[in-house]
Amino acid sequence: MSVPLTANHKSLQCRRLDGLLDWAQMLSGAGLIGFMWMHMTLVASVVISPGIMNAIAGFFEATGLAQVGGPLVFLLFLAHFALAARKIPFRLEGQKTIWEHARLLRHADTWLWVVQVVSAMVILIMGAIHMWVVLSDLPITAVKSAERIRSGAWIFFYLLLLPLAELHVGIGLYRIAVKWGFAGRAERKGLKRGENLLTLVFITIGVLTLVRFWFLKG
Amino acid sequence: MARTLKFNIFRYNPQDPESTPHMESFVLEETDSMTLFIVLNRIREEQDPSLQFDFCCRAGICGSCGMVINGRPGLACHTKTRDLPDEITLLPLPVYQLVGDLSVDTGAWFRELYDTVESWIHTKKVFDPTAPEERMENEVAEAIYELDRCVECGCCVAACGTARLRPDFLGAAGLNRVGRFLIDPRDERTEQDYYQIIGNDMGIFGCMGLLACEDVCPKHMPLQDQLGFLRRKMGITALKTFFKK
Repeated sequence: MSVPLTANHKSLQCRRLDGLLDWAQMLSGAGLIGFMWMHMTLVASVVISPGIMNAIAGFFEATGLAQVGGPLVFLLFLAHFALAARKIPFRLEGQKTIWEHARLLRHADTWLWVVQVVSAMVILIMGAIHMWVVLSDLPITAVKSAERIRSGAWIFFYLLLLPLAELHVGIGLYRIAVKWGFAGRAERKGLKRGENLLTLVFITIGVLTLVRFWFLKG
Repeated sequence: MARTLKFNIFRYNPQDPESTPHMESFVLEETDSMTLFIVLNRIREEQDPSLQFDFCCRAGICGSCGMVINGRPGLACHTKTRDLPDEITLLPLPVYQLVGDLSVDTGAWFRELYDTVESWIHTKKVFDPTAPEERMENEVAEAIYELDRCVECGCCVAACGTARLRPDFLGAAGLNRVGRFLIDPRDERTEQDYYQIIGNDMGIFGCMGLLACEDVCPKHMPLQDQLGFLRRKMGITALKTFFKK
């Protein structure tokens, strides 16, 4: 007769925290993916007309969404970093291990994780700068954004932040889908192709938006 | 025309104080349907009898000949040289204790793993050897068998980024093992019991979803689907526990 060991141990506490943190990591990531897509689409309205972008920005400010929502998104951004950072090797020893592992294995999804981590570090700093600059100088208007992008080295700042953010978002969505089993073995290849395409589309929209800002005169 | 293949093989005998880790090259003429299992046996027979590597079944059943082949964990007996370039590098699997050269001790690792996940049927029923075996639905039996196909070669763990970063991670093989009991109707453990074993960062929530396990598994086990299933199952258990309190 086999004796159950865990089933009868009432004193053992269920360690639910790791599970809750995993949920929080996934949900904060999913929330930020939704925000990033919406953000990119709304800002890209400038390509059609600066008037549309101004109207959208005006609506968000008139309803208080920019003043309240902006800092909340920033908090979500920091929370997501803190949650995901539980898995990032911050010690040189771990970094060397995972780098050597990825280099030797030559496995696309392992490299994608490295891209996710490296882009996260850059986004943490550049995204924070972007949010501070925009939210500390409300209201948002197309002309003000255009002037900022044309001044100093801001164009290079955004030309780096844009692809890194979109890559991170794209890989993040793919990772959530395969990790949680929303996409099974049969869907993985198609999901990855779709995800790459979506990332490329958003990078293109972003570049078009930057070009529009660059040539937008006040 | 037959190719001349160059094999760079890791050499080190931890038992010998004179031995230092190094790479050694061997050259062989390729033959028809040549596998790495044949290569290693020929090298040992014809060139260096001291070469250490594990093998048993030579048919992908025993899981003994797992090694890193040109950077990827795989079974030597399953790998044909015609699928590889002229120069082939062979390393022992990481994570496991090195016995010597290409031989590692996966047995000790799996034994500890099975103790941790309590890899046996937990039931309060007293076994009656005279009674006919309990019946189960064919679909359930097949699903269990599908997860039982694992040959414990250790390739999934050697290819896992998480396992390389944290030695206490159960790996796909360990999580798959728990999944096998989770669907077995004879096992009386509850979701909470399973949560205590794998509902943490050492278990399913430690998995970062890199899926190298899925991609290198020589038996093509459904590891991606299994890991996704366990994460959802344990995630829901965590929520249930949280909202019950």
